[in-house]
Amino acid sequence: MSTELTHSDVESILKIIDAAEHLNEIEIVHGSFRLHVVREGNGNGRSISAPMPMAPQASPPPSANNAPAPQIVAAAPAASTAPAEIPPGAIAIRAPMLGIFYRAPAPGEKPFVEVGQRVKADDTVCLIEVMKLFNSIRAGVDGEVVKICAENSGLVEFDQVLICVKPSKG
Amino acid sequence: MAAAPFKRILIANRGEIAVRVVRACQQLGIESVVAVSEADRDSLAARMATRAVCIGPASASQSYLRPELLVTAAAGTGCEAVHPGYGFLSERAQFSRMCAEAGLTFIGPGPEAIEVMGDKLSAVKLAEEVGVPRVPGSGRVDNPDSARAFARTHGYPVLIKASAGGGGRGMRVVRRDEEFISQLAAAAAEAQAAFGDPSLYVEKFIERARHIEIQVLGDTHGNIVHLGERDCSTQRRHQKLIEEAPSPVIDAKLRQELADAAVRLARHVGYVGAGTVEFVFDDDTQRWYFLEMNTRIQVEHPVTEMVTGRDLVIEQIRVAAGARISFTQEDVALSGHAIECRINAEDASANFAPRPGRLQTWVAPAGEGVRIDTHCFSGYLVPPYYDSLLAKIIVHGRDRHEAVQRMQEALGRLQISGVPTTAPFHQQVLAHRDFAGAAVTTRWVEETFLPSLKQAGAA
Repeated sequence: MSTELTHSDVESILKIIDAAEHLNEIEIVHGSFRLHVVREGNGNGRSISAPMPMAPQASPPPSANNAPAPQIVAAAPAASTAPAEIPPGAIAIRAPMLGIFYRAPAPGEKPFVEVGQRVKADDTVCLIEVMKLFNSIRAGVDGEVVKICAENSGLVEFDQVLICVKPSKG
Repeated sequence: MAAAPFKRILIANRGEIAVRVVRACQQLGIESVVAVSEADRDSLAARMATRAVCIGPASASQSYLRPELLVTAAAGTGCEAVHPGYGFLSERAQFSRMCAEAGLTFIGPGPEAIEVMGDKLSAVKLAEEVGVPRVPGSGRVDNPDSARAFARTHGYPVLIKASAGGGGRGMRVVRRDEEFISQLAAAAAEAQAAFGDPSLYVEKFIERARHIEIQVLGDTHGNIVHLGERDCSTQRRHQKLIEEAPSPVIDAKLRQELADAAVRLARHVGYVGAGTVEFVFDDDTQRWYFLEMNTRIQVEHPVTEMVTGRDLVIEQIRVAAGARISFTQEDVALSGHAIECRINAEDASANFAPRPGRLQTWVAPAGEGVRIDTHCFSGYLVPPYYDSLLAKIIVHGRDRHEAVQRMQEALGRLQISGVPTTAPFHQQVLAHRDFAGAAVTTRWVEETFLPSLKQAGAA
């Protein structure tokens, strides 16, 4: 029996939420899936503050292998941030938005999490700032932090792997 | 060589214009960071740029239309300036303002100029202040007598329009005095039904309108130059399909009048960057009227580049950095004739419905006087989220005849499979005697050309 939500399921849910006029916040829990959507007052749209354990994404079209347009002169690597390696058995917490990644609630304070630390699904593991707007990113799963993949106060791209968590058994 | 105007620029756009700006950066020795949505991670611009940054999901409302993400991406990657391209955020005063507040140079005019030109009423008012006329219109019309008085002053035909309206509803063409009584009543009823407001006004109806626009360029030192006109009369539902320079219907005197008007208006708002002043030209009376000003680089800018030999995107970047325009008005000379055809992933036989999909084959023509601006390649997936523009084919010839011939050859050599395109439509338009005879008006495609195709198909 498949209870996993697919990427398109999630998109459909988001579309419904987008269309709802008076909805400011919603939380959907479905098995191990948890979606937390907050619509900001200034109409800035929503932020998804929990990672979505999504169905495996279709790999990008292999167009790089097809003959590129002849006029390309200096092809630079498309993504300058090499995709982080996810340790076996771990789940990646990905950036739900582009922004500046912060490991601690304020400069000089203790980071939310360190490698080896146990976290609950609801725990904040980092912040992403988009023009003074701070978004709390939750672990989304109970487990142990095994890797921190992004650099403090650096830019993270949409969907970039931030932190890896090995889920607790049972 | 002079120092690069900026070290690094963020390109807040996609498709062919992102590729165009990356190229300009390469020529200027500037590093380019292209902001991409998830659907554009593998785009040609992303591959050519120094770096690509994924700003959000495919939907433009969650990526290319989010100023806060683009400003964060620019600041976070150490860019000094932002090029907005066309469409998306290019004419949002707020984006220009947010860039400035974050210490980034917006490559375009300041927010005030964007704002004042973005509002139709304030733009028309400014134009009138510097003696640039708009299409004559009446105030509110309550009875046939006042409508007739307007029509007698400005001449028939006139167009009845709904004050609250738009989109053709409540519009009626009136050609004779006696038609007013019935047409005013019908238009008022239609306006009441459509907008809940029966108020009407009357405007001069330009039966044979051509769209002619003047390219201007301004710098922070108070210099304004124009680079002649583009004629974009081949349109469908206000979407430009073919553009050319110079216009086949105006002479040197009219060209000078239009250019003077555009420069006066640009100077009046202290314009900086590349901009376009659009006019409606009445082919019957040879009179012209201000339509609007676009405060960005335009899709059809290559037509001007081909006849002037000037690189508008490079000038845009340089003046944004505070440099003077690299040439004077006296240096601008028009040479030959250029035409641009927009190749869209659309099915012209199905009402120009967009048809995204994977390009199995993409072979663009090359040769003397042929330029292709595109982001496409064999195997590229045309995503369904954005506009359907695949490429612009631009040709240059000694005269209009040679340019048309070159375009026909180029269109004939274009090989695209996987999606339908508007290339066959262009071939038919260019072969039409009305196009050859410069008899095309802005309603020609819908009112004359497409119906004639249908008839030919039925016969």
